[in-house]
This record gives sequence, C-alpha cells and structure tokens, in this order.
Amino acid sequence: MTSDSPATRKITIEFDDKTTRMFMVASIGWGVVAMLVGVLIAFQLNFWQMNGHYFEAVTRFLNETLKLSFIPVFDVDGIQYLTFGRLRPLHTNAAIFAFVGNMMFAGIYYSTQRLCLTRMFSDTLSKIHFWGWQLIIVFAAITLPAGLTRGKEYAELIWPINLMVVVIWVIFALNFFLTLKIRREKSLYVALWFYIATIITVAMLYIVNHLQIPTSLTHAYPVFAGVQDALVQWWYGHNAVAFFLTTPILGIMYYFLPKAAGRPVYSYRLSIVHFWSLVFIYIWAGPHHLLNTALPQWLQMLGVFFSLMLWAPSWGGMLNGLLTLRGAWDKLRTDPVIKFFVVGITFYGMSTFEGPLLSIRSVSALAHYTDWIIGHVHSGTLGWNGFMAAGMFYWLAPKLWGKKLWSTNLANMHFWIGLIGILLYVASLWFAGIIQGLMLNETDPTGTRVVNEFVQTVDKISLLMLARAIGGTFYLVGFLLLVINIWKTARSGAPVNETREVVEDPSMKKDSMTWKAAFTNEPIALTFWGLFFAILWFFLPPGANHMALLVTLGFTAYAVYQFKRNTQSWSDWYDKLSENYLPFSVLVLIAVILGGAIQIIPTVTVNRAINVEDRLQSVYTPLELAGRDIYVSEGCYNCHSQMIRTLVPDVLRYGDYSRLGESIYDHPFQWGSKRTGPDLAREGGKRSDSWHYLHMRNPRMNQGSRMPAYPWLFHKETKFKDLPGKIAVQQRLGVPFPIMTPEEIEQHAREQALEIATGLVAEQVKIEVPKGEKEPTNETEARDHLAGKEVIALISYLQKLGSFEEVAPDDTPEKIEPRIFKPGIPDNQRVRAPSAPAVTSTPDKESTLATQP
Amino acid sequence: MKPSDSNKNDIVLKEHVFDGIQEYDQKLPNWWLFTLYIAIAWFIFAWVAYYQLPFKMPDSHEKIDAQMALIESKKQEELDSMMASISNESLQEMSLDTSHLDAGRAIFEAKCIACHGQDLSATMNGIQLPGVPLNDSEWKYGAEPLNIMNIVTNGSPDVTKGMIAWNTQLSPAEIAQVVAYILSHH
Repeated sequence: MTSDSPATRKITIEFDDKTTRMFMVASIGWGVVAMLVGVLIAFQLNFWQMNGHYFEAVTRFLNETLKLSFIPVFDVDGIQYLTFGRLRPLHTNAAIFAFVGNMMFAGIYYSTQRLCLTRMFSDTLSKIHFWGWQLIIVFAAITLPAGLTRGKEYAELIWPINLMVVVIWVIFALNFFLTLKIRREKSLYVALWFYIATIITVAMLYIVNHLQIPTSLTHAYPVFAGVQDALVQWWYGHNAVAFFLTTPILGIMYYFLPKAAGRPVYSYRLSIVHFWSLVFIYIWAGPHHLLNTALPQWLQMLGVFFSLMLWAPSWGGMLNGLLTLRGAWDKLRTDPVIKFFVVGITFYGMSTFEGPLLSIRSVSALAHYTDWIIGHVHSGTLGWNGFMAAGMFYWLAPKLWGKKLWSTNLANMHFWIGLIGILLYVASLWFAGIIQGLMLNETDPTGTRVVNEFVQTVDKISLLMLARAIGGTFYLVGFLLLVINIWKTARSGAPVNETREVVEDPSMKKDSMTWKAAFTNEPIALTFWGLFFAILWFFLPPGANHMALLVTLGFTAYAVYQFKRNTQSWSDWYDKLSENYLPFSVLVLIAVILGGAIQIIPTVTVNRAINVEDRLQSVYTPLELAGRDIYVSEGCYNCHSQMIRTLVPDVLRYGDYSRLGESIYDHPFQWGSKRTGPDLAREGGKRSDSWHYLHMRNPRMNQGSRMPAYPWLFHKETKFKDLPGKIAVQQRLGVPFPIMTPEEIEQHAREQALEIATGLVAEQVKIEVPKGEKEPTNETEARDHLAGKEVIALISYLQKLGSFEEVAPDDTPEKIEPRIFKPGIPDNQRVRAPSAPAVTSTPDKESTLATQP
Repeated sequence: MKPSDSNKNDIVLKEHVFDGIQEYDQKLPNWWLFTLYIAIAWFIFAWVAYYQLPFKMPDSHEKIDAQMALIESKKQEELDSMMASISNESLQEMSLDTSHLDAGRAIFEAKCIACHGQDLSATMNGIQLPGVPLNDSEWKYGAEPLNIMNIVTNGSPDVTKGMIAWNTQLSPAEIAQVVAYILSHH
C-alpha cells in the first residue's frame, strides 16, 4: 500500500457516507417497528383480546368516560389486519429484512469503501438500492396485514415483491462487486469474504425458494409441494439465518470490532478455516428443522450430523471476535461499543451452541414446535444481531455526524435494559418450551394415553409467556434509548463524509490470477477429489460405497501430508487467491451450491412411487382449495402444524403419523414450525361442521383458548370466480384435478358450500348479518346467505384434512411421477375424468346435494 | 504462515494492514480443532453404522409402528378386562357413589363441556353448542348405560356429528366415571 514506485500518485477520495447514514437511520426506524409489532403479538398470545377486541375498551373509554361522543364505540371481537397470524410474518420480515437488512447494508457500505480504498462504484446504484429496499419494506408492511402471503416462513411476500427483491439484490451485488473490481487495496480482507458469501448465497436461496406460478397479481402457487416444498423452504429458512443474519454480521464484526478495540484480529488462519468450513457446512443443516417428520430419514440424519459439525466453525467466529479483545478488555468498562460487541458475540456463541444441541433428534422431539425454538431464534436476533447493530450504530454515529456520542450513560443504560430484557426473554422461553414439551409428552401410568389437553399445556406456561412479552418490552425500551441518543448526536452534529488521501498504484497486481492458476493447483485438486469420492461414498451401492469412503480417507490423509510438506506454497496460493475477487467468489459459490444440490436434487424425485409410502392425499375439491387459500392467507400455520411426527406422544394425541404422500399436492406445504394450538393434520371429521362454525366465531368455547375470533370470515364472500384460474395453475403443477370447465368448477364449489350451509342451518347456528342487511326469514334464505361466506370454504378445508387414498407401494399410479419438471396435465389423466365432479370430501354427503343457488 | 520459522510459539503479526486493521496469525486452539475433528469422525462413523452395514437399524417408521402396536394391544387388554367387570347395573351403582361422581365431573368439565355445556344442556349463555343435550330423556344411540359407555369409548357412528372416540384420551375406568356422572343427572 505504501510502495513508492514512480508511477504512484496520491489522490483524495470522498467516501459515500450518505448511503451509510440513510441505511442506518432506516434500520433504526424499521427496528422500532419490528420490535413494536413483536411486543404486540407477544401480548396477543397471552390476551386474545389484543387481536383487535381491545379497541372496544379503548373506544368505550374515550366515548363514555371521557364523553368524546364523536368517537364511535368499536364493537368487534377482532380486526382481521391485527391478528397474530397476519402480524407475525410482518414481525419476522421486518426484523430480518428491514432491521437487520438495513443495518447490514449500512455496515457493508461503510466498511467496503474503506477496505477497498475507493468510493462505491456507483452512487446511482447505491441510491436505487436504498430506495428500492425501503419500497419493498413498505409494500411488505401493507400486503402482510392485508392477508396477502405465500404462506412460507420468512418468504411470505407475494410474487411482485419477490421480483423487486431480486432486482434490488442484483443491483446491490453489481454495485458491490464492481467496487471490488476498482479497489485500490490489493487483497481482500476477511470481512469482504463474508460479504461475498452473503450476496451470492442469499441470491441463490431466494430465487429457488420463490419459484412460483402466479394466479393473479397478488397470489401464486409455489412450484414445489409437500416434502419438496418443506425441504426447499427450510434449506432457505435455515440459510436465511446463516447468510442474512450471520455471515454479514460476522463480516461487520471483523471490521468494526478491531476498529473499536484498536487491536489486531486474533488469528488470520482461524479466519480462513472458519470461513470456509462455515459456508460449506451451513447449507447442509436445513433438514434439522424437519426432524421426526415425514422427511426421508437420510435427509434428517444429514441435517443432524452437519449441524453438529457446524458447531466448531461457528465458534471459530466467536473465538476470533472475543480473543481479538485480548489486551483491550479494560475498554469493556468504559466503552459501550465494546460492551455491546462482547455481549453480541457471546450470544452468537450461545445460540450456535444451542442450535446443534436442538438438532439432535431426541432433543428436537421435546423442543420442536415449542417456545424453546422461539427463545433460540431471539437469542440470535436480539442478542447477536441486535447488540451488534447497537454497537455498530454507537460507533458509527460520531463518525457520520462529526460529533461525539450524545450520552455514554444513556448508551450504558440501553445496554443494561436490553441485556435484562433479552435474558428474561430467552430464559422464560427455555422454561416455557421444556415445560410444555414435557406436559405434551406426559402419559398416564399405562403409557397408552396422553393426559394433558393441549390448551392446558398452554395455560401452564401463561406466566412465562407474559415474562417473555415483558422481556421483549424491556428490549424495545432499551432500543428507544438508542433512538434518542443517535437522534441527539445527529442533531448536535452535521453529516460528515470522510475524505482520505490514498495512494494510487497502477502497477498494483490485483486480480491478475488466471482461472487456470486459480483452479489447477494442489489444494483445489485435493479438495475436489476428496469431495468427489465423499459424494460417491454417499450414493454408491453397498460395497462400492465402502471403497469410496476408503479412497476419501486416503485423499484426506494425503492432503494433510501434502499440506504439512508444502505449507508455504499452499499459503502463498491462498494469499494470491484473496487478491483475486472473481475466482474467490466462484469458489464460494461452488462451496455453497454443493450441499443444496445433494439434498434437493434427490428430493425433487422423492415423490416418486416408492416414497409416497402407503398413502396418497385426496385431491381437494374446488371449495376446499378455496378454503385452503383462506387458511394460508390468515396465517394459521403460524400456530398450527399439519405434521404428526413419528413420536408416540404425537401419535397418541393426534392420530397416525403423517406420511409423505399425504401432503403431496400441497402448494405450499403447511407442516408448520410452531404449535401454539394443536396439530391439524388429521382434523378432518373429528368435529362437526357446527363445532368449527361456532369455534371460528368464538374460540373461547374451548375454555382457555388464545385463538383470535374470526368474525370477518362470516361476512367476507368466498371468491368462487378465482377458482378456475387457480385450479388451472395447480393442474399445470401436476395436481390431478379432474378436467372441468370453469362453469363446472364454480358450480361444484357452490353446491358443496350449499350442502355445508344446509347442514349448519339445520343445526340452527346463529347467522350473522351485517347491520342494514335483511335478516334471512326462512331456512332457504339463511342457507343461501351462509353458503357464499369464507367460513364455509374454510370448514370444508378443515374437514378434508387428513383424507387420503390407500395405495399399494407397488402399483402406484403414474400421476405421482416427479412433477415439477413436467408442467401441464399428463396425458394419462386426461381420459380419467368425466365432466361431473369426481372428488367430494366425504362420501356420505354426496347424495344430499341441494339445488343450485 | 511459517510454522518452521524460528520459535513455533512466536506470535506472528501478518504484514498486511486494511484500513488500519492488522491480523495476528495465532495457531488454532487445539480444543477447537478437536471439536471439529470429532464431529466429522462421528458423522462418518454414524453414517456407516446407520446406512452402510449389512444389518439395518430400525428406522423411525419401524420403531413407531412397533411402539404403537404394543400400546394398542395394551389398550385392548385393558378394555376387555374392564368390560368383563362392568354392567348396566354396576354403572348405575357408580352413579350413586360420590367419589366416582367427583372424578366424573372433573373429566366432564375438562373434556365435554365445550360441546355439551356445563349443565349438560348443550348451550352456553343461551347459544346452541354442537353437542346433543345430555340432560333430557332422549338417547340417540340407546339409553342403556352400556350403550352410552360405547358411544363415549368409540365415538358416534356418524363421524360428521363430531362425537370423537374418547378411548384415545380416557381410560375405560375414566370413561365409566364420566358415564356415571351423566347418569347421575337422570
């Protein structure tokens, strides 16, 4: 950098710190929103009235007690835009993509310019990136409460927004990589490695998990279904944590921590080893979100083993962070930035220890679907991401506004309130998760029956859930102190853009490695052959696989021997590689592709005959499909799973364990990841239509239930007209709907709705009519009124859950050929269906169809 | 990275500097390395043991099938012995015994009132509940105590009516108690 060859010249550059400032302010603003929504939905779990009913108390107080008669008394049991099911996706998306996303961009824009000694490649691209990202967030904040969702966790945004995300991400990537290209620093610092991995991997994950076919501007069906969708979703979901919430923050740690501590990074070689092992191994661990489910067991086992192997690489990051502070620990007493970083990194270590632990199948059997998992992710997002963000903001603010931090004391107070908040949060959910898990698994002395009603187990942890909500509130209060502190700092100073004199050296030999030199060398060759035989070890038939394993081990031993012998040349090669951003990025891409390819490509064919097991899901009727879309739209999956695991307590409580074939037509899958209510995989036929009808209106008929009431389902009309278009897309995706004309589809749906409505009217359920509309005067009118409502479609779907056809494993019909590569209706199904509907929910209902409305 | 240079324990400071950030090149902590090695070795060992040896470990489906078969046979035995000792008369007698009635009420309040109502009238605050009233004299599937016992145990013959089979949640003895509680209202 300081070479003085004659060609060098000094130039002055101005860093683009405005973009950093904007991203930072955006992160803080969206952070408040995300946490506010989080606190609201946490309280909703304790008080169902928080789903909108509390407005009655508020407006009644204003109207009657304060005599503000112009404020109407708001008298409803719930507001659709405020239910847990719709707000929880808003909370997670805001926390991940708005809060941490903007924070990450702030850190990346700030550090990349300094590590490359250049201004960002293009101010225009930076601007588009910033404003595009904020626009995406605004759209998300509108669509999610409106019930427009894809029904897959952290991938809920609808398809037009998905396209925007892809475009903006590509613009970000372009800006970043072109900045690397014009850098004035010869070699890439470790922080940049992590940024590269982030950008490449998130793009790959996002695109694959968002493949879908639109049915309208706001709705689409994912191309994957059932187990495929589950696997792709958790490959994405798990690695969203890895490559959106972990690697960029590690990069930020590698830049901001040594800067703040004024100490060299602990170990360069630890950086190398933990970076490459982290990006390679992380990708494989996704299936640990699906342990003991219908997912093929070999995939579950891969998820478990790779999660265990992931522990050390994760801790490598923690060690390099904490040990960098050797010699600077005294700053822990005085500098709030160091405090936040130390606690953040410690939480990283804690949650990456907890992760592998939770990935062990027997631990997962207890913890999965409980609040323990919620506690675990929050020790990551609040403890690790949130505290790293705070540390970074407190360090950046004085630099970005040219004034020292307004109040160190206030920052210290933020630290302590936040720390107490997150500890209260995590600890109470440990207890809540374990207590609920044990209660759910408790059987009577004979071991043949579970003893606790589901709702009892939720009641038991009520206080702990309240403690969690209070912990979250503490954390929010702490964060508000940060808002004040940064605001005051910014107000007292003025925006500053750093200028720096740098040495321009045209003779600098960066990016000079040929592709050949990058890929044909000893380390790469040995890694390649080692991995090649390791994969053969996996997939070859018995006998040959043992040979492949031996060869793999042989290569490993030889590689170790060569490394010991040629340490210098290996190390020179790596130093050289880190001076070449393109070959480096390609190697990262290869490392992250491998795990996904090996798990997902075989799974695309997993729906083949042999893997349907003995059951094949019954195809939905048009009305049931409409009901399913309502289920997805209301976010029911946020509290209800549809997956009975291969565990005795699950089977005793919910019925026979779920088979692969039983969700084979579910676009998207709805296996769920959390049970605040019971599993619904076999809900169909367990209760009467009228039970569901009354329960949707007033879930308190099940004493102690926290479920929100859904009064709007009794007013909103089912969109029968959309069904033909939706079914056409499902058919293209390979779901064997019988061939029906659009009119037949609509008629079939209306007939089934009428049949359910007739039954309900016969049981004299209360019919709700909006004010001003005519009350039905006789049974026919009541029936016709009811039949078009969303609640009827939803009931038809709930009653369908768990219905299947037995199939003999041998003579599986061709319709279960792997489907996503074969869009369109297979010919062998075209002859099968007469014009009349071939599928109805339950056979005994078939005969009593009333006339068409 | 020159472990052979001079003393192995010297702390090497790398030459490069990035925006003022320097890097040591400390050796990797041994305990950390061994954690990684052990996890990898465990993976290889366990994978071979699970999937690549001539004998096959039972997979999760085989395990759960075996466990559930055992449970089913136990339940059947329990039911058989209960049914052998129970009759319409003995159930009527139980309905006069306060200890059985207290137990029966507790079960009824935990499991049944959602559909049949606190007072067995199948209404809650005047709203019709999905169940049939149990405090009148009309019995859809037979008025004998054993008929009632059968419905509670195995559920309604018409699944769409929503009366589920309670033998998954209640033991035969508990079902008898809850039947006794219902009978005590007649």
